[in-house]
Amino acid sequence: MTPVFQTARDYGLISCHSCHLLCQSTKQPADMQCPRCGARMHDRKPNSIARTWALVLAALIFYIPANVLPITTVISLGKAQSDTIMSGVIYFIHTGMWPIALVIFLASVFIPLLKLIILIFLLISVQRKSSWRQQDRTRLYRITEIIGRWSMVDIFVVTILVALVHLGGLATIHAGPGAIFFGAVVVITIFAAMSFDPRLIWDTEEIIHE
Amino acid sequence: MSKSNDVPLFKGVPEAKIRTRKRRISIVWLVPLVALAIGGWLVYKALSEKGPTVTITFKSADGLEAGKTKIKYKDVELGLVNSIVLSKDLSQVIVTAELVKQAAKFVSENTRFWVVRARVAAGGVSGLGTLFSGAYIGVDPGQPGTPATHFQGLETPPVVTTDLPGSHFVLRASSLGSLNVGAPVYFRRIEVGQVVSYQLDGDGQAVTVKVFIHDPHHQLVRKNTRFWDASGLDVAIGADGIRVDTESFVTLMIGGIAFDTPVNMEPGEPAEENDVFDLYPNRESISEKTYAHKSRWLLHFDSGVRGLKTGAPVELQGIQIGQVLDVSLEFDVDKAAFRIPVLIETEPDRLKSTGEIPQGAEGQKVMDYLVGKGLRAQLKTGSLITGQLLVAIDMHPEAPPANINWEGRYPELPTVPTAMEEITTSLTQMLNKFEKLPIEQIGNDLRDTVTVAKQLINSPDLQKSITALNQTLDQAQKFVAALNKGIAPELKTAVSNLDTALIQAQKLTRSLNSDVAPQLDRTLKELQAAARSIKVWAAYLERNPEALIRGKGKSKRR
Repeated sequence: MTPVFQTARDYGLISCHSCHLLCQSTKQPADMQCPRCGARMHDRKPNSIARTWALVLAALIFYIPANVLPITTVISLGKAQSDTIMSGVIYFIHTGMWPIALVIFLASVFIPLLKLIILIFLLISVQRKSSWRQQDRTRLYRITEIIGRWSMVDIFVVTILVALVHLGGLATIHAGPGAIFFGAVVVITIFAAMSFDPRLIWDTEEIIHE
Repeated sequence: MSKSNDVPLFKGVPEAKIRTRKRRISIVWLVPLVALAIGGWLVYKALSEKGPTVTITFKSADGLEAGKTKIKYKDVELGLVNSIVLSKDLSQVIVTAELVKQAAKFVSENTRFWVVRARVAAGGVSGLGTLFSGAYIGVDPGQPGTPATHFQGLETPPVVTTDLPGSHFVLRASSLGSLNVGAPVYFRRIEVGQVVSYQLDGDGQAVTVKVFIHDPHHQLVRKNTRFWDASGLDVAIGADGIRVDTESFVTLMIGGIAFDTPVNMEPGEPAEENDVFDLYPNRESISEKTYAHKSRWLLHFDSGVRGLKTGAPVELQGIQIGQVLDVSLEFDVDKAAFRIPVLIETEPDRLKSTGEIPQGAEGQKVMDYLVGKGLRAQLKTGSLITGQLLVAIDMHPEAPPANINWEGRYPELPTVPTAMEEITTSLTQMLNKFEKLPIEQIGNDLRDTVTVAKQLINSPDLQKSITALNQTLDQAQKFVAALNKGIAPELKTAVSNLDTALIQAQKLTRSLNSDVAPQLDRTLKELQAAARSIKVWAAYLERNPEALIRGKGKSKRR
């Protein structure tokens, strides 16, 4: 039913990631170099699954303090109030600003978690060499890559607030330790998504094909 | 370039397996390892900093918020309220709070918790900062004790925290007056302490007030220091006008206590923590009760004691030496008579004696002797307007002899009747005498006399006599008229004769006057001159008596 796709690797060809020059791959795939721009070349991202796994696990670990520790501390008229991400969301829901609550929830809680879950799903499915709905899984991967950076909205808001709100005794905002962990989660998931090679999803096809 | 050219394209020839290299653990696994390390460190830190969790019950959770309200000591955060729930019977609020690890060392059964809110009281304003920052739970570590996790929160902040240097003292009062927790304690009008707490005794007979005196003023409290209630205004009307006195404006509103050591007493040992003192009702009463020795006497009065009240003064020669303790009524079955025992208390120390006042048996002898000389108790009117009575002890040498009855619970001092009572007695005696007079008989006699007189007046004889008298008078009138007519003319001539005689006599006198008078005048003048010369002569004689013999000569003196 599905047409038989032929990949560059089938023909012993390899494309440079930097200058996109098409070359023939050598028998020593670990030490290949682009003959034109000198970049390192590999037909698949090296060690992709292990790296992704490591980064995903690290992100998962950081995800816990990011949500438990306060992300901001607002000192207003001598009254200090620390807020975690969830308490901020709850605060906005209570004050009736549910669109803001929704944005924060989506950007800060839902998306990072969704990314992590998708990546884990992809990793497991690739490792099991599953050929189940490969197109959808590739789409999922693209979604993770696109939406991942938007999680940083939260960190931007915090940094802007900390920089702007310096009203002395009236109000001051400090970034909490949660912000650092949250930033770490976002960055690590971006790297994790980067280190995952979506071509691995299709490599099962070739194996079957071979 | 050279590499790619070297590779020939052979189909069907199997390629040698390239990936024979042993898979080493990728360096990327360091990332989750670091993450794990950081996470583990966070968990460890959280666990190691986790202090004890305590529950505090309050009447109300006003101003408290779970997850936000902090527990502070000296404004240092010691914990956070985790949850606020109602007790099962809904009467209280149970606050669960997590303290920092540092707090575990001092949280004991003596630790006190209270809610710090903005409070505006007459004594001052506190906790204004909480208006903006919200209420927080204050904590006072208290003395070290056995660790505890459940506490009863205070409804009002404690006035004195453990770290304040100073001393607590216990005051016993019959009533609280207008005192309140936080009321100031003054020493010479300087605020040196505060009322910490008060409570009613179990039997409801007295009030125990606890005060705290700050360091270094607590050293001013001696064993013989006296505390008094300095609440309100002290208004005294004296010979120098009206004097209004108060410790401070604050005591007017929330009451206060002052203390001082009486000047006439030696300052005693410094008082110790939690020493018990009496709380006197006012400043005057502290000097009144500086007498330690007290003796009680029983007096029996036969007359009414209306106006004699408990606390009435007992005076000796007009100076108060004690007071009336009790007045009761007694029925003597043997004599079938009422009498009134009055218990008095005297303070012998009020007497200043030249020598040692004998005590014990000697003292009894002295009292016996004094009573033998006429020492008696008597009721006297203290005020004519109010009719207040007082007990006066005075010498009454004329009183019938009596003795002190030393038997019984209290010695009994003989009494003499009141001055008023004496007057009443003599009046009664006079009335008795009046009563003995035969007034009825006298009345009867008088009536009889009047009756007889009446009969006499109404008798016909009297009528007749009066008619006869009338006639007699008529006749007399007629006689006089006749006399008038007969004698009058003769009388007239006689009178005119007399008149002429008198005129002649007048003429004679006048002639005498004009003729004899000048001669008489001359004679008198001569007589006067004679007298003067005699006077001169006599004076000369007095000076020169020899003139009688030698005659008047030249004066030798000259």
